[in-house]
Amino acid sequence: MALSGTELARYSRHILLSEIGIGGQERLRAGRVVVVGAGGLGSPALLYLAAAGVGTLGLIDCDSVDLSNLQRQILYDSGDVSQSKTSAAQRRLSGLNPDIAVVAHAVELGPGNARDILDDYDVVIDGSDRLGTRYLVNDACVLLRKPLVSAAIHRFEGQALTYVPGRGPCYRCLFPEPPLDEIPNCAQAGVLGVLPGVLGAVQATEAIKLLLGAGEPLLGRLLTFDALEMRFREFSFQRRPDCPVCGDHPSITRLEESNAATDAEAKVVQRLSAQQLKSMTLRSVDRDRPVIIDVREPSEFETGHLPGAINIPVGELAGRIRQLAPDLTTVFVCRSGKRSEHACRLAARNGLGKVAHLEGGLLAWVESIDSSLPVA
Amino acid sequence: MAESTHCIVNIASPLRSYTGGAAKVNARGATVAEVLADLEQRSKGMRFRIIDEQDRIRPHICLFVGTRRVHSLAEPVVANDELHVICALSGG
Repeated sequence: MALSGTELARYSRHILLSEIGIGGQERLRAGRVVVVGAGGLGSPALLYLAAAGVGTLGLIDCDSVDLSNLQRQILYDSGDVSQSKTSAAQRRLSGLNPDIAVVAHAVELGPGNARDILDDYDVVIDGSDRLGTRYLVNDACVLLRKPLVSAAIHRFEGQALTYVPGRGPCYRCLFPEPPLDEIPNCAQAGVLGVLPGVLGAVQATEAIKLLLGAGEPLLGRLLTFDALEMRFREFSFQRRPDCPVCGDHPSITRLEESNAATDAEAKVVQRLSAQQLKSMTLRSVDRDRPVIIDVREPSEFETGHLPGAINIPVGELAGRIRQLAPDLTTVFVCRSGKRSEHACRLAARNGLGKVAHLEGGLLAWVESIDSSLPVA
Repeated sequence: MAESTHCIVNIASPLRSYTGGAAKVNARGATVAEVLADLEQRSKGMRFRIIDEQDRIRPHICLFVGTRRVHSLAEPVVANDELHVICALSGG
């Protein structure tokens, strides 16, 4: 179907570009792009893709909007706080461009649903905030032969790369396996609000180019951005013949396999409420009281910590695991419970049998036990 | 042994707690291994975050000398080279 008069007017600045024209705009209208994570990266990517007239946009997110999101997640406004992200995003994107279809997937992407959801789209944009999801999305795209535009951010630094099946290396060719301990995400490490704007716009640009078949995608090139230096750098990398998913003899041939270890580890993680931990610390016999390991960074620990807690940043835990007594109960704590959960899994994997973590982290402790504890 | 030279090491954001927040540090060495050993002298614990117990680059870390990807710690570093330590990031 030809572009309508309204569409010709709306996309006139695109149509003026010889690389797009009417034919390219029609290709964008026929295009289907799904964005994993409607957060910092997903917000600008979705807004630009909607504005550009990409005909079908999928968004995958099971969170609701938090006040702390508004510093960077420009899809939402103050009235959206506590609303589901997919509903709020759907309203905003449909308001921006009523001619496109916005498909909400209010679910957590996992090995069981990734194939079904992603297979329905032409291009996948990864804006997730967990490394596990990042590897899952990469593996799914390789197995489904879907183009993927991946990006990630940390504090003032971001990185982006594009994968196209048969034309270049995948994310695992660069970073074959995730670390045993989680890299802190935005909620844990902080992030400059405008940073995902830069990287999310790069992702939208790449997706549009892929739909158009125009220009040179970021294939085999890692683009990094340092906002403090205001510097982009580019690093070339090749497909690895021994890549576990896109290599010559892949070991990952189904999504379930790549996440089996994670699922098994999840079963050994014991969660404690703040009240349960408080009760344990009050036990009269020394050996019954837990050893509390605070796995935050030293600067966070110095701001405030639980009495008697020992600071071992999560990144150092693997190297210092032998310092922990296997016969005592070890409770890991951090700010929100994410890093401590990973520490717990790491400790269990290294043979410590009596491990637990504080669910909800020190933020939960402040809310229910001691509101005077300063938490960075 | 080749002559030891100065180079600049660009530190990935998640590892900067080891360098007091510094994004760039100077280090000496004629190979990547020597540069990382020198870095360890001033930033205790940093090498273990980059290299595992079998002296392999950790699989969520990439090293580049300039724009050339490092596959072996024995690869040479010459004067004024920049060693980039790049880490898989999770934030979105």
